[in-house]
Amino acid sequence: MPELALKKPKRRSAVQILHLNTRTRILISIIIAALYIGIVFIWGVSMGPSNYAIDYGAKLQAPSASHIFGTDYMGRDMLARSVKGMSTSLVIGLVAAVISSIIGLLLGIASAVIGGKFDKVVLWLVDLCMGLPHLVLLILISVMLGKGMKGVMIGVALTHWPELTRIIRAEVMQVRSSQYVQAAYRMGESRFTVARRHIIPHVIPVYLVGLLLLFPHAIMHEASITFLGFGLPPDSPAIGVILSESMRYIASGKWWLALFPGILLLLTVIFFQIIGDDLKELLNPTTGNL
Amino acid sequence: MRQWKKATAVLLLVCLILTLFAGCGGKKKKDPNSITAYVGQTIFQETLDPVKGGMSYGYPFINNALLKVDTKSNYVGDLATDWSVSPDSLRYTFKLRKGVKFTDGTPFTADDVVFTYQQVQKHQAENQNVDLTRLKSAKKVDDYTVEFTLKEPYSPFLDTAAVLGIVPSDSYKSGEFDQKPVGTGPWKVVEYDPNQQIIVEKNPDYYGGVAHINQVTIVNMDQDTALSAAKSGQLDVVMVGSNVANEKIDGMKLIPLTTMDVRNISLPVVPLQTRKDAEGKAVKVGNNVTCDKAVRKALAIGIDRKTIIKNALNGIGKPATGFTDNLLWASDKTWTDNRVGEAKQILDAAGWKVGKDGYRQKGSQKCEFTVAAASNDNDRYQLAVAVAENAKKLGIKINVVSKTWDELYDLKNTVGVVWGFGQYSPMVLEQLFYSKEILNSQYGNSVCYSNPKVDSLIDKALDANNQQTAISYWKQAQDAANDDYPYLYIVNIEHCYFVSDRLNISEDTQIAHPHGHGAPIINNMNDWTLKS
Repeated sequence: MPELALKKPKRRSAVQILHLNTRTRILISIIIAALYIGIVFIWGVSMGPSNYAIDYGAKLQAPSASHIFGTDYMGRDMLARSVKGMSTSLVIGLVAAVISSIIGLLLGIASAVIGGKFDKVVLWLVDLCMGLPHLVLLILISVMLGKGMKGVMIGVALTHWPELTRIIRAEVMQVRSSQYVQAAYRMGESRFTVARRHIIPHVIPVYLVGLLLLFPHAIMHEASITFLGFGLPPDSPAIGVILSESMRYIASGKWWLALFPGILLLLTVIFFQIIGDDLKELLNPTTGNL
Repeated sequence: MRQWKKATAVLLLVCLILTLFAGCGGKKKKDPNSITAYVGQTIFQETLDPVKGGMSYGYPFINNALLKVDTKSNYVGDLATDWSVSPDSLRYTFKLRKGVKFTDGTPFTADDVVFTYQQVQKHQAENQNVDLTRLKSAKKVDDYTVEFTLKEPYSPFLDTAAVLGIVPSDSYKSGEFDQKPVGTGPWKVVEYDPNQQIIVEKNPDYYGGVAHINQVTIVNMDQDTALSAAKSGQLDVVMVGSNVANEKIDGMKLIPLTTMDVRNISLPVVPLQTRKDAEGKAVKVGNNVTCDKAVRKALAIGIDRKTIIKNALNGIGKPATGFTDNLLWASDKTWTDNRVGEAKQILDAAGWKVGKDGYRQKGSQKCEFTVAAASNDNDRYQLAVAVAENAKKLGIKINVVSKTWDELYDLKNTVGVVWGFGQYSPMVLEQLFYSKEILNSQYGNSVCYSNPKVDSLIDKALDANNQQTAISYWKQAQDAANDDYPYLYIVNIEHCYFVSDRLNISEDTQIAHPHGHGAPIINNMNDWTLKS
């Protein structure tokens, strides 16, 4: 019976079954991701210290209905601590990524437009920053500035601009040398108009995606240097602090101290990556309309 | 093609198995009469050379000192059998033990003692643990008598004699002795790998009781790894923090051992001000809240040390209101704490009124100050947090921060700091209370305590020509100073170890452990026995 062999059903993904096009799919995933990040952020920022107050009567309790993430060695609720820590990371990530991306944007555009010696200096700076291991540079800057919130923020902000600078510089150069820009110049358009109408619209999407994709990096780096003891002080609720504290209890089987905050951090980073990637797809004319 | 693949796979497998066997073969066969111990990492961080301050804790290990400390904290002879002090307190004469040999075979004589003391004097900068700046000369009277002359009377010289291990004058080599010192002690180093382990073997000629165990491997790892290693049965002794004291390990039992180590919080006694330090640099000292004696006293009598210890240290440790009674010179005065009502009265009387938020206030000054704890010692941080929690009921707000030692050094004069003190020498009292120590030494008198009466009592104690007189003055000085509560004593900590059921660590002959993060358990290792 040859028909049977032919009738082997084709695998269909969930997206196809739901008849979603790329735009809808992207929109949905962006909404889910943004919702998660938004909830963590608002909940954490609005939370007072009383939510994770010390309660020696409830030391090191495993996850239960009253403490979903369990409690730590001082009886503090791990859910509240983790969310608070995550929101601190988000704030640092936000400020650092914005500063970093603005530096990247300005240097990238300037370097492409001015060119010459300035371009060389910028490229040299980019190489210098990228040549050093990120984490080492970060630790150096953070320690130099006395650690804490300020040190981490400036450290992260000052180490994450080179890649974006490079991308934007390349983008601007490409657009500038394209035929329609050349044509616009020939038609007598002013430099400003060309920049506004032809260059900026091209750079903005790249910038936005770059900004979003900086977030996970910034957050991860904040958590890492705090984990290593060069970031936020050990007395503050921060994901890095929570994770490094949990290391002391892993050997004695207190798994929840590391697992849940770790998942929280992981999800945040992954969701940012998803938003960034989706946005990249959406803003790219060749893939955005599928 | 296929055949080749198979052949290669077999060949690789054989290689792998061979390497495994080779790995096994490399290990020496384990002596059944040997143990493996983890006693913290300090022993690896410091030199073993007595001349550079190594193992200066008052018990013999590789080297012996002239004196040693017994289980009741008295000084007894070790390499010296008898000693006397001149009436003017300037000359100390030691009669030495005869017939003692270093592990390299050379006999021990007065030359070795003189040599050791002169070496330390010459290289005083390299030795922070034994201070010989007050020593004028060390002289050999005969082969078995040594006479020390001091520049000024200094009664704690006996402590010096008990902490400085004697090295052989003939074979002393500065670099080599950091890892493999030659001594007269119960143990000799056979292997030293700073990243992994120190292996010591018993000295079969030791005059003070040859060890029962042939060989001890002291391993270097971090505390969590050590705990895991103990759980998998690889260690016979493992030092643990109080945070895991509730754990159960098969085949091991938890033994908390007495220490002379206390934790206290320094409370600056002067208002915030700027002073000049020894180098003439302007430094901020003092604190506007803790400068009020009422606050300090209220804390001292009002907090509940037992609860604090239960909360912060899993109940391991004894409440302390001063130095421990296992120190001969420690004050005998103790008091009951948790007198909340009385403490509140003191604060009320001093004008600290309870505000809306539950914390006290005097005028615009809030009853609030910072306590800093070293970030490398979690127990201290937890202790400070527990104290802060407990002080809330008095209406005193304590903000706890965790800082590195470098940061603490800058902060120590203006905020409370959690300190650990545990040594035989009463010189710690001079460090804590003597007015000349203010802004003078690294950690001395950070609270800026200055009291002429205490100063003169400390002078008298230092000038005393016998231990009894010195001790009585030390006690008086301490009592006088403690009346002002410059330090908030909290706990006399206990060192916790899991010890294998097959091993007996002879708890009866353990001396009270000095400061040293777990290492002092080795003080009586020659008395340890293994059950067969």
